[in-house]
Amino acid sequence: MPGSLPNSTELKMLPGTAPMEPHDVAPAEEVVAGVTPERQLSELPRDELSHLAEEYGLDSTAYKTRQQLVIAIHERRQMIASMDREAMLDVIRWSRRPVTANATKEQIAQEITRIRTMRFSGLSQRGLLALAKMRGVPASEDDPVPLLIRRLKRKEGVFHKLNRKRRAMIGSLVAKVIGETESAADYQFLPGETAAPDAVPPRTSTIKEDIEESGLIGGITNRLKKSADAYVNEKLDEIEARIDRKLDEIDRRLAEWRDKEVANRILILKITLWASLVVLVISLIYSYITVILFPRPSAPPPNPVVPHHVHTDNGSPTNK
Amino acid sequence: MPRIDLFNLFRYALGTIVTIYATVVTFQSLWGWYVWLAGSDKYISLVRRYVILHALRLRFRAFWGDVIICLLLCVAFVILWYAHHLIYDLGDRVAHARQLTQQH
Repeated sequence: MPGSLPNSTELKMLPGTAPMEPHDVAPAEEVVAGVTPERQLSELPRDELSHLAEEYGLDSTAYKTRQQLVIAIHERRQMIASMDREAMLDVIRWSRRPVTANATKEQIAQEITRIRTMRFSGLSQRGLLALAKMRGVPASEDDPVPLLIRRLKRKEGVFHKLNRKRRAMIGSLVAKVIGETESAADYQFLPGETAAPDAVPPRTSTIKEDIEESGLIGGITNRLKKSADAYVNEKLDEIEARIDRKLDEIDRRLAEWRDKEVANRILILKITLWASLVVLVISLIYSYITVILFPRPSAPPPNPVVPHHVHTDNGSPTNK
Repeated sequence: MPRIDLFNLFRYALGTIVTIYATVVTFQSLWGWYVWLAGSDKYISLVRRYVILHALRLRFRAFWGDVIICLLLCVAFVILWYAHHLIYDLGDRVAHARQLTQQH
C-alpha cells in the first residue's frame, strides 16, 4: 500500500496544502523535498528498495548500487509529484483501472505502472505523455501523439515485443476457441449529448488483448474477474431495482390503508351522527307528547315559570 | 319529592357518560401518538416525517361527499336541539296560560 511506504510524506506540496486534496495540483518548481530522504530510503534493505522501485515503474536490476537505486526512486517520486494529475487520471480512465477519486498522485502512478498494454488508441495526448514518463520514455509537452507512440514502442525492446506477439497469438487462439470476435467488441454506441466533448471513451478490451497484456493465465483471470464484476454489478442493480419496487409497493399500500382508514373513521362519525339524530327525533316526539299533547297535571308552583316572551294584550312581546 | 322523568334521565345520563368516555379515549389516543412521534430516535424521526408526508398527500376530494353529509347532519342535530327548546318554551307558555285562566 502506498500509505505504508517509507518517506511517503517527505515530498511536500504547496505549504498549507493537504496531501489528500487531489485537485490542488502543485507546480513542479514548488515541490519541496524532504530533509534527508536519501538517508531514510537508504536505511531500507535492498529487497524492499527493489520492490519500491518496481512499484514506481523502475527496473531495479538496472541500478548496481543501493545508492543509485535510492537516487532513482527519489527522482521518480519527484517526477510523479510534478506530473499533471488530470493527465494521470486520463490514463486511469482510459485503462479502466480501479482508482478512487481522491487517490494521491503516488497511488495513481503505481496503478499506471501496472498498465502493460501497447495499444494506445483512445488515450489523450497528455495521458500519453504521462504514460511515457512513467515508462521512462523521454517526452516533452509539445510532442505529438504519433511521436509519443513511436517512442513508447521503441522503448519496449525486442524481447518484450516478441513475448507480446507470442501472447497475442495465444490470445487470438483462445479468442477463436471461445468464439469471441473483435468486431463485436469494437462496436460502441455513440456518446450521449451530455458527455463532455473531450471525454475519453471507455476502452473495452478483448480477451486477446488481455492475454497479450498479462499472459495466458493472467488474461483469463482478468477476463473472469471482469465477467464476475459485471455479473455482480448487474445483480446488484437488479436487487436495487427490486428494493425500489418493493418500497414503492409499500408506499402505495400505506396510502391505500390511510385512505381506507380515513373513510372508515368518517363512516363511523356518520353512523354516530345518524344515531344521535334518530334519538333526537324520538326525544322530540316524546317531548311533544308529554309537554304539548298530554301535559301532566301538577300543583301550581309557588313561583310559576314565566316564558321568555309573554305577549301583552295588544300582541307586542315584552320581556319580563 | 321531585318527579323524575325516566326517559329524560336515561338520555341525559347516557349522553353525558358517552361524551365523557369518547372524549377521554380520544385524547388518550392522541396523547399516546404525540408522545411516540415526539421521540428523538432517528427512526422515530423518520416515521414522523413519513406520517407528515402522508398527511400532506391525503386528498380530501375523495372524502368531500361524506364530509358534507356529516356537516349537514350536524346542522340537523342543532336544529332538532333547538326544536326541543321551542317545545319546552311552548309548554311553559301553555302552562302559564292555564294558570292565568284558573286564576280568573
